[in-house]
Amino acid sequence: MSLLEVRNLTLSFRLWSGIVDVLHGIALSIAKGERVALVGESGSGKSVTARIVLGLLQDLPGAQIGGEVRFNGRDLASLSRHEREALRGRDISMIFQDPTSSLNPVYKIAPQFREVLARRTPRITLAEARERATALLQEVAITEPARVLDSYPFQLSGGMNQRVMIAMALANRPALLLADEPGTALDVTVQAQTLDLMARLVADHGTSVLFISHNLGVVREFADRTYVIYRGRIVEAGPTQAVFEAPGHAYTRALMAAQPRLTGGALPDIVERDPRFFDPVVLHGVPGC
Amino acid sequence: MLSVQGLSKIYVTGRHNVAALTDVTLTVQTGECLAVVGESGSGKSTLANLVLGLTPPTAGTMMLDATPLPARRTIDHRRAIQLVQQNPLSALNPRRSVGASLRLALDVHGIGNPATRPAKVSALLADVGLTPDYAARAPSALSGGQRQRVAIARALACDPRLIVLDEPTSALDVLVQAQVLRLLHDLRLNRGLTYLFISHDLAVVRAIATRVAVFRHGRIVEAGATDALFTSPQDPYTRSLIAAVPVITEQEKAMRDRLGASS
Repeated sequence: MSLLEVRNLTLSFRLWSGIVDVLHGIALSIAKGERVALVGESGSGKSVTARIVLGLLQDLPGAQIGGEVRFNGRDLASLSRHEREALRGRDISMIFQDPTSSLNPVYKIAPQFREVLARRTPRITLAEARERATALLQEVAITEPARVLDSYPFQLSGGMNQRVMIAMALANRPALLLADEPGTALDVTVQAQTLDLMARLVADHGTSVLFISHNLGVVREFADRTYVIYRGRIVEAGPTQAVFEAPGHAYTRALMAAQPRLTGGALPDIVERDPRFFDPVVLHGVPGC
Repeated sequence: MLSVQGLSKIYVTGRHNVAALTDVTLTVQTGECLAVVGESGSGKSTLANLVLGLTPPTAGTMMLDATPLPARRTIDHRRAIQLVQQNPLSALNPRRSVGASLRLALDVHGIGNPATRPAKVSALLADVGLTPDYAARAPSALSGGQRQRVAIARALACDPRLIVLDEPTSALDVLVQAQVLRLLHDLRLNRGLTYLFISHDLAVVRAIATRVAVFRHGRIVEAGATDALFTSPQDPYTRSLIAAVPVITEQEKAMRDRLGASS
């Protein structure tokens, strides 16, 4: 059974100017321990998909959500607001693009870490939290956990903050990690280290990951399976290797062609819009079984 | 065309001195695209600021066509060296139409006579692949790629000798990036432009640059022709930088792993 099963997910926003359709029936599934990427350009709907899974959009006035999101076999829509909130930070956690702005600048790391741990262990003491946090920071290859815990986020580098975020996101051993463009704000060498670290940790703990990115290269290195999303529609899905080696959809092919290669080659002629980008979805192999 | 000798910049902040750039010497030849690559804090944007005259160097000299560039630039210097920024939305005045933004550059530098300037604005838009009716639009009514085209048109307005491009495509989606890179490439070849291209994206640099200078901690660690630098980088830092780039094909991966193994 899939850990996360999204069926025919639609989202529209009611604005003063009318209704804007953002998602047009997204279907995706993530098995336990699987790393799945959702790749697309800005405005394609990849981040809102993650936010719906996390339950952040359900209570927003003006957002109309259709379809089904099942986590561990339970339909998120059938849960009460309280139950949905209980999942967050405990069974489902999220890492955001910019680590430094995701941490509260006016608190040191230690109290923020305690707040995260309290999601699972509500009455955790300061000393216990500190001990747990120290172990978790060591897990993300931070050699001086005490110094980090006593620092404000702005006193740490972006790479260090990103590791703190990863440690926090995995602190309660969530079943599902939503990673929204992790490391995009970091230098390539730091980004590479961050991804290696994340890959190792989720493998160790059997965490499933929904990895959201616009960066094709990062997706290829990280994900087992890839969904390509274009304007609120899944256009191609399959094992990462198959999608990258034999892209079947016109949009996926355009994305691949547009990506400059490290090995050189002429700049391609790319069109930004093409009616073929709305072709039906291309599926590789049998998904998710 | 541009030659930089022993350029250094030290920022003094409180009790700290931050050496942003240390003893940088490089030249930009007419018609080439010199890429400056490095990670954050490597001094690449400081170099851009110094070349543009936004801040004076602590030491060293800059020469444009064999005449020294003073710390305080005249309007002719400003006309000769133009900038395209990373985020076109914040680079364009949101209250001013696209046409007015382009017109302002022509007015400031007194290019052509006022009667011919509307036609010049249309010509500039055509140069970057936009139709004349875009002149009436506000930047907010354009897509990211169209905005960056307008920013390029504005830089082209006063026939600069050198264009400093500071991460011009890193805020753009990959399809749009490909188009803007193609536009920049074609403009350089067709109009004989010269670029100083600041970037952290090595794959982009490979596609657009003729020569590359790799920066680290404010110093040049390696410089050379693009092909040579990518196929046989000499400095271990350059190799590690290339080896960290996420790639999408097996050929790239093979090349990257080869370089990574030898560093």
